[in-house]
Amino acid sequence: MFEHLLAAVAALATFKVFGLMLLGTAAGLLAGAIPGFTIAMAVVLTLPFTFGLSSIEGLATMLAVYVGGLSGGLMSGILTGIPGTPSSVATTFDGFPMARRGKPGLALGLGVWASFFGGLISAALLTALAPALARIGLEFGPWDYFALVLFALTIAASLSGGQLVKGLIAGLLGMLVASIGEDDINGVARFDFGVDALRQGFDFLPVLVGLFAFSQLMSDIRDAAKAQAPLMPPGAKATRIEHRAAIRLTLAGYGNLLRSALIGLFTGILPAAGSSISNILAYDQAKKASKTPEAFGQGTPAGVIASEAANNATAGGALITMMALGIPGDVITAVMLGALLIHDVAPSPSFIGEQPVLAYAIFLAFFLAHFFMVGLQAICLRAFVLITRVRMYVLASVILAYCAIGIFALNNVTFDLWTLLIFGVVGYAMKELGFPLAPMILGVVLGGTAELNLARALAISEDPMLFVTRPWSLFFLILAAFSVFFPLYQARRGRSRWTLAYAPAMALALAGPLLMMGGGVRMAAAIGLVGYGLWALGRHARNGWAVDPAAATAPTLREG
Amino acid sequence: MRLGRDRVLALGLLALCGGFWAASYDIRDLGFQTLGSAVWPRIILAALTTMCLIYLATGGRGAPVAAADSEAAGRAGAAAGWARRYRNPAICFGLFFLFLASLPYLGMLIGGTLFVFLALTCLGGHSPRALAAHAAIAAATIGGMWAIFTFALRVFLPPGVILPSF
Repeated sequence: MFEHLLAAVAALATFKVFGLMLLGTAAGLLAGAIPGFTIAMAVVLTLPFTFGLSSIEGLATMLAVYVGGLSGGLMSGILTGIPGTPSSVATTFDGFPMARRGKPGLALGLGVWASFFGGLISAALLTALAPALARIGLEFGPWDYFALVLFALTIAASLSGGQLVKGLIAGLLGMLVASIGEDDINGVARFDFGVDALRQGFDFLPVLVGLFAFSQLMSDIRDAAKAQAPLMPPGAKATRIEHRAAIRLTLAGYGNLLRSALIGLFTGILPAAGSSISNILAYDQAKKASKTPEAFGQGTPAGVIASEAANNATAGGALITMMALGIPGDVITAVMLGALLIHDVAPSPSFIGEQPVLAYAIFLAFFLAHFFMVGLQAICLRAFVLITRVRMYVLASVILAYCAIGIFALNNVTFDLWTLLIFGVVGYAMKELGFPLAPMILGVVLGGTAELNLARALAISEDPMLFVTRPWSLFFLILAAFSVFFPLYQARRGRSRWTLAYAPAMALALAGPLLMMGGGVRMAAAIGLVGYGLWALGRHARNGWAVDPAAATAPTLREG
Repeated sequence: MRLGRDRVLALGLLALCGGFWAASYDIRDLGFQTLGSAVWPRIILAALTTMCLIYLATGGRGAPVAAADSEAAGRAGAAAGWARRYRNPAICFGLFFLFLASLPYLGMLIGGTLFVFLALTCLGGHSPRALAAHAAIAAATIGGMWAIFTFALRVFLPPGVILPSF
């Protein structure tokens, strides 16, 4: 491991890579700070600039954009109360009140340093856990992969703000889009409707950018008055970041920092659950664990620390799943996956073993990007204040043209631009009609993987029972089944008695496949799950299955 | 059963499923595959149809289209309100369509600059001062990006037939 790590350090430690990462982080910070400009858009726009670079240089640049974007949202959130990205929604709860009480420098400092420490914890665990998860991934057969994709899609749909049916329809539409064109297994054209260009199918990056970025820009300029107004209401001004006081406060609340980073990391590991969810979850847990929960929302440092530590740590978790299993953790990592494929890097369980230097370079670049992020915050804060004077319609028109140039440059194919337009219209219509886009994006990205693994599974054996007799497949199918009922559980929590049995039942059900796997650690995990399930059921039985109405007021998970 | 917006949408999606299901019979069957090329799309379509039927059955909570329409007809300028609501996105989609349709003739540099200029002018107004600002923004942003791609990154961007170098 250490020789690979040293080789990765040697590959990254050049002026060129550092310069590229500096530029990438600055671009990400600004993109994250501007409401309406998403991190995914920034990564896509950066992609064409990396074509002439080596894989390591290109990926380091894009990771810098990713990390910068995650931290950029706190600037607008704290200074104006409008989060730059959904990842920073909870930051505004306490960051903005702090700024209004005359402590904007401290609030920004807390956000920056919590992001930094959260990111570092996540980077360390990424380096430790990704190879371990990849080793587990090597145990997966096609049945298990198929079930994992199914789980990724159901959880993406179930986290769509209680719109499970719409989420599932969106996910299935995404898979249908992915099935258009020549199929990867037999090379037979499907759904080309006599159009030559459709024989090759849709390239997934133009589809992603159309669905996500194009539709987002259209939503941002829909309101004529908002489109003509400056990006931010007057009031945003550069301020001096109070680094020392912020570091002291952040480290003093190390329990909150660590808990929030771990929440972020494990939310990121879950397929389809991103930083827009983790920052709210971490904030909620920090409030519950606090001795002064009433201070939350009034400008308490713990609120800013929880949200920012969690959202940066989520990136590490999403990278673990993407690097080890090839499954994107959220929309941004779906775009990152496309970027990796363009650089001839195909993440899979065998990737870390086969290309260890590149893998460790990615881990290290993620780690390093956090140092650049801290260093650049003060400079980018001034640039951000200047950019807030730009009107939204100017930004949207120019970004739209840049998206077109960037998308054309991917394959030098004009049809990709038509794809961008078609899916821009589809994405906008879906948003207006209340359909979540994240499941559709995952459907587009994972549809081919699901089909390929189903075909492989059936080629090995036509026995469908293998999907429920293989432990990992069963494990993911159980998770998929429980995730389907999650929106109902969320809606009824604190009101219906059956919700008390949801978590214990899931623990008991998951213990089954873990016991089937054998091995000391998994047996211990299974016993732990059985113990928890029985204890929780017993506790509820002793309480006469009384529901706690306070649970109904807990925040719900929503797609960002 | 009231015909709400969600139900109209569900019916549209069911029609889409039907169209794709019919098109799946045009997929060539090679005869020797374990999983035929048409099987996977049909699995997706079957699941999608099921979900759309559930959506159709449960989607009646919104305001019914007929009622909404009659209400809308009662309000003066409701159609104008709808047009105002979607004016900006419609302009952008329309201009982007024209940009793509004219790309073989105008090329990326001229077409892109024209697209940005027209989008800015349609969305931001057309006073003489605004026109000058929009022209400068369009030329600087697209010209700059075109130059970076063409000369620094050596990425080919499509030229037009009118001015073949751009």
